[in-house]
Amino acid sequence: MALFDNPFGTPRRLRGGCSCGGHADQATHEAALPSGDAAITQAVEATMMRALFPYAAERRAFLRSVGLATAAAAVNQFLPTRFVAEAFAEAGKPEKTDLKVGFIPITCATPIIMAKPMGFYEKQGLNVDVVKTAGWAVVRDKTLNKEYDAAHMLAPMPLALTLGLGSNPVPFAVPAIENVNGQAICLANKHKDNRDPKNWKGFKLAIPFDYSNHNYLLRYYLAEHGIDPDTDVQLRLVPPPEMVANLRADNIDGFLAPDNLVQRAVYDGVGFIHILSKEIWDGHPCCSFSVAQDTIREMPNATAALLRAVLQATAYASKPENRKEIAAAIAPANYLNQPVTVVEQVLTGTYADGLGSVKKDPKRIAFDPFPYESFAIWTLTQMKRWGQIKGDIDYAAVARQVYRATDAAKLMRQDGMTPPETTTKTFVVMGKTFDPSKPKEYLESFAIKRAS
Amino acid sequence: MSTLLPFARQARPVAETRRTTSSDKFISIEGIARRYPAPGGKQTTIFENLWLPVRRGEFVCMIGHSGCGKTTVLNILAGLEAPSEGVVIVDGQAIAGTSLDRAVIFQGHALLPWRSVLGNVAYAVSSRWRKAKRAEVEARARKAIATVGLAGSEHKRPSELSGGMKQRVGIARALSIEPKILLMDEPFSALDALTRGTLQDEVRRICVETGQTVFMITHDVDEAIYLADRIVLMTNGPEAKVAEIVENPLPKDRDRTQLHHAPGYYALRNHLIDFLVTRSRTLRDAMPEGYDPMHPPVVRPSLSEADAAAITAEKPALRA
Amino acid sequence: MQRSLTLRAGALSLIILALALFGWQIAVSGVGKTEAMDPEYAALMGETATTGKSAMPGPLDVGATIWKHLKDPFYDRGPNDKGIGIQLAYSIGRVALGYGLAVLVAIPVGFLIGMSPLMSRALDPFIQIMKPVSPLAWMPLALYTIKDSSLSAIFVIFICALWPMLINTVFGVSSTRKEWLNVARTLEVGPVRRAFTVILPAAAPTILTGMRISIGIAWLVIVAAEMLVGGTGIGYFVWNEWNNLSITDVITSILVIGLVGMVLDQLLARAQALVTFPE
Repeated sequence: MALFDNPFGTPRRLRGGCSCGGHADQATHEAALPSGDAAITQAVEATMMRALFPYAAERRAFLRSVGLATAAAAVNQFLPTRFVAEAFAEAGKPEKTDLKVGFIPITCATPIIMAKPMGFYEKQGLNVDVVKTAGWAVVRDKTLNKEYDAAHMLAPMPLALTLGLGSNPVPFAVPAIENVNGQAICLANKHKDNRDPKNWKGFKLAIPFDYSNHNYLLRYYLAEHGIDPDTDVQLRLVPPPEMVANLRADNIDGFLAPDNLVQRAVYDGVGFIHILSKEIWDGHPCCSFSVAQDTIREMPNATAALLRAVLQATAYASKPENRKEIAAAIAPANYLNQPVTVVEQVLTGTYADGLGSVKKDPKRIAFDPFPYESFAIWTLTQMKRWGQIKGDIDYAAVARQVYRATDAAKLMRQDGMTPPETTTKTFVVMGKTFDPSKPKEYLESFAIKRAS
Repeated sequence: MSTLLPFARQARPVAETRRTTSSDKFISIEGIARRYPAPGGKQTTIFENLWLPVRRGEFVCMIGHSGCGKTTVLNILAGLEAPSEGVVIVDGQAIAGTSLDRAVIFQGHALLPWRSVLGNVAYAVSSRWRKAKRAEVEARARKAIATVGLAGSEHKRPSELSGGMKQRVGIARALSIEPKILLMDEPFSALDALTRGTLQDEVRRICVETGQTVFMITHDVDEAIYLADRIVLMTNGPEAKVAEIVENPLPKDRDRTQLHHAPGYYALRNHLIDFLVTRSRTLRDAMPEGYDPMHPPVVRPSLSEADAAAITAEKPALRA
Repeated sequence: MQRSLTLRAGALSLIILALALFGWQIAVSGVGKTEAMDPEYAALMGETATTGKSAMPGPLDVGATIWKHLKDPFYDRGPNDKGIGIQLAYSIGRVALGYGLAVLVAIPVGFLIGMSPLMSRALDPFIQIMKPVSPLAWMPLALYTIKDSSLSAIFVIFICALWPMLINTVFGVSSTRKEWLNVARTLEVGPVRRAFTVILPAAAPTILTGMRISIGIAWLVIVAAEMLVGGTGIGYFVWNEWNNLSITDVITSILVIGLVGMVLDQLLARAQALVTFPE
């Protein structure tokens, strides 16, 4: 796990007689002081330790509990050091104000998109261009290339990027989740009477991306019904706009995709809603607001401002009474480019199900920015379950490094919002409780899996 | 008829062969050879040890069957090919590569199709006189074009010209650079008989007027008789040799249409045709005793004995 | 007689067009089967589902859309929604840049390769392998190495437009007639002057053929590349409308793309006619 290599070189005694803890006394420490860049790095590390643990007692307790090597490694995880309270607390002037944020035209991107027409970015003194992008791989590449300062990504993507799955490892951070729920399994009309997944052998089902909760939820759902997603059905990667067209052309039997596409299939009379994704896992994260960790390091103030805008937009979007207004703001060609009624049905939760009835579910999609570390841990278990991650992995460490629950909580508090008390929580997926502290046991409990 | 006095056929021994003196060797081909690699690591020799002098102001035609290396000799003279052995000395200097002093008239006219008549000739002129002004270049080009009788067609493209006219442009281009030597590679072979005749007249007129030194390749016997001062006969290839050099006995002042009335015409023609039909082959296989490639025999054909007999037999009848 | 033939051919073309449009309109104006719906449900559904309207637009719809785009080709409503004129300008600009670079590289390099039989033999396998590579196969590589999607699109145009021009230049140069070269040699023309006065004019028709193939490819590629990287351009426009499943706009853009492609091709055809010489 080269990613978590300890750059300190030698394990350092943090409770020694000097400021760094590595030397017997301050004099020896100063004699050993490096110069130049190394000096700056060390200074930053020291600051970070203090920022992470402002109270000496707490710092000591932390070190006692995890041991010295782990402490160094843990600190290392936060190496984008200034992405901690002190950088955000000062609310410094953004390093640059002209920013580009990439998005995929789906309702999951609602907070990121609406922050533009509804002025949330402007309020933070930012001039943000939200740029529509053709696909997840392109969003990833453009963000890696720094064409985008931040981007709308599927929630598992920053984990995959950080671990180097499907690309070179580049540390990413998720300072905020965009939406929870808001996806659905849509089937072709011809399957109206074939609703039991046990009979779905041989189905061709579309998903938007390998590293997506759509993939993991669909696999989970199928596996729970005894269908092996790798051998009994064909899972195909299909770009979102082509899903409806493929469904119409009878190339696929169905898909698990963002609700605006599902609703569009219903709207065009080619498919119906089998189940909403919340029926698999109520409150599952879908998409994330993602930033490269070195972007945060380069411009902490601008990132913080951006994040504030997104957090506030998410908070605004979470109120059902605002949803109609948001739908009108994001439906035009510049953003989602969908009929307003389709977007409205997704956001208000009053929708046609394609089977002839109107359903009402205000929680069809919800906006909750808090990036629980346990979300990441669950995603990692599924990545491992389906063979995307090989070998051992420190679930908690990766989750903490990528899903910035602590940082989000801090910012939310500053903005007068109320973050959850803890950075992890347990939740239930298809009747089975997930305990984030026991990922290994969870993984072992599945009958159908690729991981050994 | 008395003008048709027969030449005594003098099969002169080599020692008596008229030697060219070094002073009138304007071009001297000295022992050149051309070999090509052949399969199996061997070499094909087209010709070797080939010697040939050409005098200043002389019109020399080379005749031989295909494959005897005529074109190769011309290309070596032009500098387009290098001999495998030997040298060519022109005006006292061994040649190395092409030169504006030696203009070539190509068999297939080789005009640049994207240039007009004027453009093609002007291209040569401006290559000869690099610093010349546009107007001067054009004036020289127009003059050369007028010389070959194409005045008025300056702005036509080669594609708009007949074969004969194209070759005229080729001649104008060669003449325009005022070369010391004109090299012609079967220049009229692609033309119809009528056009060919007219062009031969033109070429002869121009060469006589300017005293041009010309080396020309042909396999048209009549053309050689009409144009050449001396005719070089090549045996068949490979390993072709200069069988003999035939001096043209016809007067310098010739008329193409009356040529066949000239004394010695038939003797010359028969001699050449005999050579092409039989001797070019037999001579390759066995050259006569005492053949010296450095000094090929020089021949002035006279009336054959049959001709002479016919003529004498005719005389009494006329008198009667 | 000639004129009347042209006239009759034109009239026939018009009749064929009218018939095709009429047939098209008839084919899409049929109404499919629909089920009875309660009005609340119907309000949430599209016309295809409620009235059985064909999902395929008819010529009248397309005509109206074309008119809508022509009326206001240069509007700009944010980074993701610009008029078709602006999008075309972006695409043409990218093609001009990538194609221009390809011309600048292919012709001199092709010249050098074509003049050396050794080089043309040695490089031929590489060129033959690179030539048939699909433009979009270059895209990930370009994105990964160049790290800029706009430049990547230009690079992809460059790399795809390069090979036909390079191959044709090499071929044109190497097949310059020997006798023309000999003319230049006997006239003691230097290598540079020979290149410009003999080889270039001799190879120009072949080179222009390559350039014409390349511009066609470049125009094909830009649409595909812009669909992939998005942002701006006519390819993005198509993708954006496809995303909205707006077949009407997609058909409109197909017509526009075809029209621009034809204009580009005709421009090079004109240029080709200028340098072609009859023999």
